[in-house]
Amino acid sequence: MDPPPATVTNSEQDSKLPSSLRDPASLSSQAVSLRRAIVSAYCTVILLALPIWWYTTSIQRLSLPSSRVHQLAQNHLELPISICVETSDLGLVDNLRQALATRISHGSQRWSGLVVSVMGKVDCGASIAPRYVSYRNTSAGEINKNDAYTIISKTGPTVIQERRLYTPLNELNSITKVVDTLSSLLAPYSSTNDPEHRVAQYSPRYRLAFSLLNEDAAAGNAILNWKIQDGLKSLFIYLSMSRYLTECLAYVNPILHHLSPLHNFTIESQVQFHAPLAFTPRQLDQAHGLTPEDLTVFVNSAQWTLSSSSSNDPVVHFILFIPSVNHRPLKLLNNDGSFSPSSAFLVPQWGGIVVRNPTSETFSGEDLPSQDLNEVFSVFANQLLALLGVPSLPSDVIKSTLGLSDWQLDALVRRRALENAQGSQDTLLSIVNLVDQIENMPVGEDVRGDVEDALDALTKMYESSTTSLYQTFAYSAESFGHASRAFFNPGMLALLYFPAEHKYGVYAPLFASALIPLLVAALRELSTYRQERKKANSATNSE
Amino acid sequence: MSLTSKIPSTPEYPSFASIFLILIAARLWVSLTDLSDILKHDQQLSSPLTSFSQLKEGIFLFNHDIDPYSGGSFRHSPLLLSFFVTALPSSRKLASVLWTCSDAVGAWALVRIWRARQNVRQSPRDVLVAASYLFNPYIFLPSLALSTSSLENTLLLLSIMFACKGKASASLFLLSSVIHLSLSSAIMLLPILLLLITDPHSHIASPKPLSTPLKKAIPLFGEFVAYMVALTLTSTLVAGSWSWIPQTWGATLTLPDLTPNTGLWWYFFTEMFDHFRPFFLMVFTVHLFIYVVPVCLKFQHDPLYAVFILLGILGTFKPYTTLSDPGLFLTMFAIFPEIYPYMRYPIVTVLLHLHASLLMPLFHHLWLSQGTGNANFFYASTLVFACANGAALVDCIWPGLMIAIGPRVEGYSIVQE
Amino acid sequence: MNVSKCDTKHLRCDCLTFIAQHYTFFPLALGQILRQYAVTEMHLALNAGNWNYDRWGYPEEQGVGTGAELWAWMGDGAAITVDERWKGLRNALAGLFCASLGSLDELRTTSPAQTFIPEGTLPDWGVSHTVRHASLPSEHVCTENLTPFLKLLPCKSLSGIASLLNPHRLFDADWHGMGVHVLWREGEGVEMRLTFQSVSDPLRYDSAKKQDWSLQSLFDRTIHRSCPVAQSSEIVVALPKNALYSIKPEPPLIERSSAHFDVNTPLEYRSESTQFSVKRTLRGPSQAHGQLSVVIVNHRPYAIHTLYLETMPWLLQFYVHTLEARVDGVLQAGIISNLTYIPSVPHSRPTTFQALLNLPPHSTVQITMDVTKAFLRYTEHPPDAQRGWDLPPAIFTPVELATNDSSFSVKEGRHYTSTLLVDLATPDFSMPYNVIIFTCSVIAYIFGTIFNLLTRRFVVVRLDQTKT
Repeated sequence: MDPPPATVTNSEQDSKLPSSLRDPASLSSQAVSLRRAIVSAYCTVILLALPIWWYTTSIQRLSLPSSRVHQLAQNHLELPISICVETSDLGLVDNLRQALATRISHGSQRWSGLVVSVMGKVDCGASIAPRYVSYRNTSAGEINKNDAYTIISKTGPTVIQERRLYTPLNELNSITKVVDTLSSLLAPYSSTNDPEHRVAQYSPRYRLAFSLLNEDAAAGNAILNWKIQDGLKSLFIYLSMSRYLTECLAYVNPILHHLSPLHNFTIESQVQFHAPLAFTPRQLDQAHGLTPEDLTVFVNSAQWTLSSSSSNDPVVHFILFIPSVNHRPLKLLNNDGSFSPSSAFLVPQWGGIVVRNPTSETFSGEDLPSQDLNEVFSVFANQLLALLGVPSLPSDVIKSTLGLSDWQLDALVRRRALENAQGSQDTLLSIVNLVDQIENMPVGEDVRGDVEDALDALTKMYESSTTSLYQTFAYSAESFGHASRAFFNPGMLALLYFPAEHKYGVYAPLFASALIPLLVAALRELSTYRQERKKANSATNSE
Repeated sequence: MSLTSKIPSTPEYPSFASIFLILIAARLWVSLTDLSDILKHDQQLSSPLTSFSQLKEGIFLFNHDIDPYSGGSFRHSPLLLSFFVTALPSSRKLASVLWTCSDAVGAWALVRIWRARQNVRQSPRDVLVAASYLFNPYIFLPSLALSTSSLENTLLLLSIMFACKGKASASLFLLSSVIHLSLSSAIMLLPILLLLITDPHSHIASPKPLSTPLKKAIPLFGEFVAYMVALTLTSTLVAGSWSWIPQTWGATLTLPDLTPNTGLWWYFFTEMFDHFRPFFLMVFTVHLFIYVVPVCLKFQHDPLYAVFILLGILGTFKPYTTLSDPGLFLTMFAIFPEIYPYMRYPIVTVLLHLHASLLMPLFHHLWLSQGTGNANFFYASTLVFACANGAALVDCIWPGLMIAIGPRVEGYSIVQE
Repeated sequence: MNVSKCDTKHLRCDCLTFIAQHYTFFPLALGQILRQYAVTEMHLALNAGNWNYDRWGYPEEQGVGTGAELWAWMGDGAAITVDERWKGLRNALAGLFCASLGSLDELRTTSPAQTFIPEGTLPDWGVSHTVRHASLPSEHVCTENLTPFLKLLPCKSLSGIASLLNPHRLFDADWHGMGVHVLWREGEGVEMRLTFQSVSDPLRYDSAKKQDWSLQSLFDRTIHRSCPVAQSSEIVVALPKNALYSIKPEPPLIERSSAHFDVNTPLEYRSESTQFSVKRTLRGPSQAHGQLSVVIVNHRPYAIHTLYLETMPWLLQFYVHTLEARVDGVLQAGIISNLTYIPSVPHSRPTTFQALLNLPPHSTVQITMDVTKAFLRYTEHPPDAQRGWDLPPAIFTPVELATNDSSFSVKEGRHYTSTLLVDLATPDFSMPYNVIIFTCSVIAYIFGTIFNLLTRRFVVVRLDQTKT
């Protein structure tokens, strides 16, 4: 009902209202105070609803300890190495120290994170005693800084035994030779050492998958079974002198379980009877050949079901490949086309492969002969060490025991500790930056917990870095594990696809049209109320 | 037309009782036809919370030692369950009789409310008031479909009636049982408390501030809380566990069943993004309650009128509406004849309702049975229905305020600033 | 029909087996999954088409429901709950078989322990074992599922009988299905059975429309080489009873009207006709409600007892109070007993409905029940929402009543009905913002009007009739 064109009466003219009409202003239902009460009732309900609004639409974004992350990311892990020279000739010690320092300053990349100190017999002699106690009887935590390396002068070839190095010291050029040996023992890793990046990424658990693959068992003369237990035993014998003890040995002797500080292994094996190659090997006169290019595509993952995806632990594969009768003998070729003496090769970060051609002499029945089995598994053992990054000894150094030496293991542990520390710090920094950049990213309790655990482990790692190498390593691995888990938490991706513009589209229709009139009314009431008070004040003042 | 009813009744009016009985007999006759079977699945007449089939399913499960609240779609209150388990009408015909009786009680209560408002023992308008309830199609059809919303309406009318008579205990007990059946009815608490501490007579034309102190309502509120607690405990005892709360009240708040109905909620939450669902559920629930205090403040001089307006709000905005809810609101117009001259756009409102009540069943049929329509058709008709209810709400609030100023005078117009 | 069978060889245990897993014939990929999720018994079936019981009789393998069906028995009491392991199992199998088994989620998982009794033995570890069952009738089985299946065989499809498994011909068959069954037997160890069943019609491949067939004509392949590790490989040909035939090469053994080639252990072939046939339909044109109707015809001159199991997603909600049974058109409530009913939970748990039916001799039993169809959120609809939803088959399991009549034991011969397609009402998927705007505008309009009426001041204005 539109009012016809009218001149609105002034308030003075209200007194001239017809008698049947009551002045609205005089009605109690039109009173100003009632109107204010109604507006405030509306506003109160909305104010009471605000916390629920916040609760129902908020994304859980816990604050991350970013200042601690930034602060810790500044640090660099430094691992001390003490070398004790068993001589009373202080000049010799000084010479060695200086020569080593020059070597370190030349190859600073290789020595980064390592702090080497060389001491004479006087300084360290007293503290040598404990390291003669075999560490296998102590837990990883108890290995302390007394684990210094000792150089003992001895004529004859260079020999290492536990953490001792027997080498002639007083001969000509002996200092240079000792420095060479030390640098390849203590810092064996350089960018030139592992051009193929063969070494697998660190993981606290690995699955070792041994597969016996027959290219085509139906063609005859196939190896239908292998005595995997015997093979594994020879593998363990090869590794058993080291700390690479598997859980099997842990089962035999639980104390040993604590002494596998680097990795835990689970083992699986299978036999396949049809494992065709994705290509046809090159036909040669007397044999079939695999060129180096063939080796890069040798693993036919489409046809070979090598492992299940049932756990997230990385898998290291070991494959014994038995070529089909039609492809025997199958040999590896060098780049120039000549036969390679080796029948095994590594696939970087993936595993090792041995190609075995059963000959009529060795073939007896369907099982792999034990002689062959032992050979194959010793190759596997070497491949495993290479993939795990165990450094090889310099050629002129002889070790007095089977298996791994402490020098090698220590170098590996140092390398892994440095890698983990760096990896953990980088990952934590990435998480904090990512969360800062993307405002819609939820941060749940578990992510924050993981980040905090990673930081705590990092702090402990720095605290223990001067006292115990293995403790430091354990903390670095723990920290890296937590940091990775936080980074890959699936909960952080929940709302990334809902941009802010959509939110306006959802909120605007209701709020623009319903809340704005309410807000305007509330503001108007507030302003008139203020004016009235001002008026009243001035009135009382003027009186 | 409105003023005549104020004349005290005289015995020469045709006996209300006899006409009332005739009306009920007519209703009973219709309800015993097969219409009920045809209508029982109609989603506009019974929502998942009020459907008779669901009630029977719940009774069946209860009788077979399966907890009806352990899952599934049974969302009726344990009070209804216990009532029907003990007194289940064994056949559909008996159930129809029960529902008709319930409507008769509702109509009788409405007439009593009308008489209380007019403060008379009898009036010639009684028959009209009773007929407006018994033959309002919005109330009649859900009752034919055996929707329990008819029972809720009856209980609510009884509660209002007792409030008009000043019988606090009966009124509050009935109100708390209505809230048990349908949580949204909680918005009726405040006006009914006001009604209890004042009187039901028409003061709509002469506003004055509330004369009785609000303090008097506090013991009544305490009594109401006591009834609620008692009924909650009874329900838990019947259901055997607390699992009935998320299944009944929880359904009102979280809308797990998106079956189409005449309200605004179902399609909105069918189409809502998951992330915003809790937020809008909150907004819609709060929106229902935001009107209570302002309406009661504005109409503190006539709480029965506030009850009337809030019934309109409920019929328009509550989740899981059936036609009974707006039907009760529209029927209540019959007891406020004094406002008719002041209505703003009565023709528009009537046409909108006519429009919506033709479109809704048509589009519902086209979409779900015929398969030639789509969901938007029915959604659009529910929007029209919401507009119609909105217009009716304006048509009851506007005259409620205008009547205080006075009848229209040539040459003058009353506007809002 | 081709059944290839392979048993596992259990390796001896010594120290190393406690930590190491060694596989020779048992496929490593499957073994690790079962080991990781501690699954005692598992059955997976991937089938395409409806098994026609009336024409083909009972299948060699019971699980012939359309689509994917997975059920497993697992011991309780482990650190990880049965439900979490079930979730892990179906995700791992989904990866292994390239099938959408990941969608066998809580919406479809039930525990019908009476129908799916373990085929092997359950180890007695003092913990209770529970069954989890789920089926996905809309799964389409094709080559990408067969390839991983073949890889589980020791000789794949490169030698032995399995070399007949030519995907081009198999997937052209009237019906085909593969099954993976792993179970544990007391004292024997783990047994795995890989089955592939298919029904081919030789007439379809023969241009001369003669009823002659050969392996070459059926599979377009022949067996060139034997699998070197197979202990036995045999082909059984059921010979026609009342017709002339010739079979080449001459079978070394004919017994009970079936010819066995390369026999080591006799394999029994049942061509018995079915005891009853079942037809299940969903009636009613409405998208809001309907009626489920099951018609069972008993062909035998004696009464048959069978368990009727429905595992229905929450999309279809039962009104059990409307359950009615008619025998030859006459209402007879007594034939339904032992009712077990677990109602569905909207947006999550499915319904489990199980009843024991007593089918009178030579009778037609019709069971009807009203159902309501659910209305889903728009995000819950699949991309092809208009197509409808496939509902899993009902399962009838014959049972033997105990003499005291209170208990029963399950017999062989599970019978799957065909799947159903239910048409659910769909919202308009392009509407979210429109609906938000429309509904909010209507609400805001009413809200604003009421707010204005309640708060704004009324004034009386005088209309000037005469311009002054």
